[in-house]
Amino acid sequence: MALTWRAVALAALAVPLVLLVPATGTVLLWALLVVLACILDAALAASPRRVAIERAVPASVRLTERATSTLTLTNVGRRHLRGLVRDAWPPSAGAGPSRQPVDLPPAEARRLTTTLVPTRRGDRVADRVTIRTVGPLRLAGRQASIDVPGRLRVLPEFASRRHLPSRLARLRELDGRAAVQVRGPGTEFDSLREYVVGDDVRAIDWRATARRGDVVVRTWRPERDRRVFVVVDAGRTSAVRVLDAPRLDASIEAALLLAALASRAGDRVELLAYDRRVRARVAGTGAPRLMSGLADALATVDAELVETDWSGVVAQVQERLSQRALVVLLTALDPAAVEQGLLGVVGQLTARHQVVLASVADPEVAELRAARDDAAAVFDAAAAERVGLERQAVATRLRQRGVEVLEALPDELAPRLADTYLALKAAGRL
Amino acid sequence: MSTPVLTRSAPVVGDGTTARTRAAGRWRRWRVLLAIVVGLVLVALLAALPEPRTSSVRLAPDNPAPDGARAAAQILGRQGVHVHYVRRIADVRAAAHPGTTLLVASDRLLDEDQVDALAATGADLALVDAGWALERLTDQLRALGASASSDVEARDAACDDPDARAAGTITAAGAVEALGPGAVVCFPGSGAVSRSGAYAVVAGSPRIAALSDAAPLENAGLADEGNAALVLRMLGRHRDLVWYVPSVDDTSGASDASTGPSLVDLVPRTVPLVGLALLLVLAVAALWRGRRLGRLVLEPLPVVVRSGEATRGRGRLYRRARAHGHAGAALRAGTATRCAARLGLPRSAEPAAVVAAVARATGREPGTVAHLLYGPPPTDDSALTRLARDLDDLESEVQHP
Repeated sequence: MALTWRAVALAALAVPLVLLVPATGTVLLWALLVVLACILDAALAASPRRVAIERAVPASVRLTERATSTLTLTNVGRRHLRGLVRDAWPPSAGAGPSRQPVDLPPAEARRLTTTLVPTRRGDRVADRVTIRTVGPLRLAGRQASIDVPGRLRVLPEFASRRHLPSRLARLRELDGRAAVQVRGPGTEFDSLREYVVGDDVRAIDWRATARRGDVVVRTWRPERDRRVFVVVDAGRTSAVRVLDAPRLDASIEAALLLAALASRAGDRVELLAYDRRVRARVAGTGAPRLMSGLADALATVDAELVETDWSGVVAQVQERLSQRALVVLLTALDPAAVEQGLLGVVGQLTARHQVVLASVADPEVAELRAARDDAAAVFDAAAAERVGLERQAVATRLRQRGVEVLEALPDELAPRLADTYLALKAAGRL
Repeated sequence: MSTPVLTRSAPVVGDGTTARTRAAGRWRRWRVLLAIVVGLVLVALLAALPEPRTSSVRLAPDNPAPDGARAAAQILGRQGVHVHYVRRIADVRAAAHPGTTLLVASDRLLDEDQVDALAATGADLALVDAGWALERLTDQLRALGASASSDVEARDAACDDPDARAAGTITAAGAVEALGPGAVVCFPGSGAVSRSGAYAVVAGSPRIAALSDAAPLENAGLADEGNAALVLRMLGRHRDLVWYVPSVDDTSGASDASTGPSLVDLVPRTVPLVGLALLLVLAVAALWRGRRLGRLVLEPLPVVVRSGEATRGRGRLYRRARAHGHAGAALRAGTATRCAARLGLPRSAEPAAVVAAVARATGREPGTVAHLLYGPPPTDDSALTRLARDLDDLESEVQHP
């Protein structure tokens, strides 16, 4: 049972009535009449439970993009259904409009669309669909909330994909350059072809030339089929908000850009999101489905307030990797956390793999460090200075153990990591 | 992006409930509340039913406490006297008329107009503990102050009044002094002024009987000596007794029609009815707005850990510990490290080497540079702030020599 404003208006008629017939009985009688009219109207309203509801919603949508959830309502009752429908979604699904009028004759169907503009990564599960019907007098009606399953997976935004074309161009440059000039550990043998004027004479393969009778040069290309293992730290340090977004989001952006670049470069990418257990894992996926698989797996990863178990990470890496690989740790360069956890076990990784640690820098600490307003600000600045020194010290110790340490602001982390990857590839250190 | 993959749910009809299951669910949800409400109503009914109402008003005919007067009222009632208990002058005016007895129990809350109104009723007056009103009502009597015979004591009648003689002895305090010849005064206290006593009668129309003390009327003292006899005879002269206990909030006052109608009379009769109608509108509007279109949707939100929080906390710790030296050392170390990096010195450079390099780069005296970078620690806020500024200056000179 639900009332409408018309019921209030009807009740308000009691005021002029009581002025005409000033007696307590007038009001009581009118109240009784209003109640009876509302009950009658509600009884005559179409049942909200005699409606077949079907929902169609995209399986996934990228953050900040728009999706539509479509409800198809079919009136399976005998009465004409008029009323309001609310398709309820959690707040961060950005659903609108929140309520829609519907007019549904018997045995007909209507389609209602709700626009969803999600504001947060993760799974959004649709809540109930509420139907409120009104009776022929539009005074009162009936209401029911019905579970119609629906789920929308909001994928990471991957805003860093705008950096991809320039990095791919650099990759191709690396490719072309290798044939002509570079003959170092950064390249591997590709094929033999006939000499053309302009080729580096040092590239001539004399043995093949002797066999063929023509002058033949070797061609080189950047090494391929290397393995890139990305570890996303989903522990407490990733929950920290830097510039109003958790570190984890910047880590995911960086991981996606690196994966896109590395898969185009022919490397095999694996990803692990870990805190004290595996939160997400993408492995053994071919290049065509890699990006969607990564986005899908990372969509639901949220930072947990637990200390990351780095020996567990090392165990996972060693279990998955048998040959040399590039291991990228997307975490925070938090002195205390690194000293307690990573520093002790990183040696086991650097012994066999190239390790890169990428961390989101915090501009607020830099801001604090420069503050000189009063004594309190200077104390804060001293603390920030001390934190900076400790961070430098821990970075130095990591570098001494063979880790490539990278620290950048949230927006710059992804391109900087891609650049580091390209540099390592050019140098043949993969 | 290509056309998105749609997931379709199977059609859902209804929420799996029927009218019967919904009614059962409603009954299950509300039955506890319903039971409580029914219980409360029952208790209220039980409390309201048998017991006659009692009050705690002093000298009220329905007050069974020691300072009440229910005993006297009940005895009078049993003897065929109709007791009308009133608290407002307007009611007094309605109930008292010649041929009735008007008991005024204490005059503390009366004003002059009200006393005049009492006299105007024409009823026989029985004044208990009402010395001030007594003087206004008759010039034959005057109440003596508390100084005279203020103790409660047994007193003999010592007069010709038949009521007093019937009582013989009463226990009372205070006294009334006769001023004129028409007054009969009884029950003089020990060592009292002549022609004074606890009980006085001025015959006439209306007849005025005054009792200087409420003790004989109270439940506690009614059974002592001849109190009961005096009180019952004093109040039981007529078939109707108007029992007036003045109240604080009585605004009906002696001010009768001459002062105009009261505020309540001025309000038109329709106003409370319109109020009732508006109440109906309000109730319907509350029901209209109160029904939500479906439940609230909950969403678990990720934890929010502000960056820089740990650093700020550390700064606050330094401040609370007044660790100026510690803070200064951190600032110096930061500046020295950055200057050394800028000047191409290794991280492991000796202080002396750093000082020499910085002095060379800035053109300052090596002594002042050494004092700034490795001098004594600051000891108070101002020294620390000054050190921070000086280090900033030095660093900017190194950055832009």
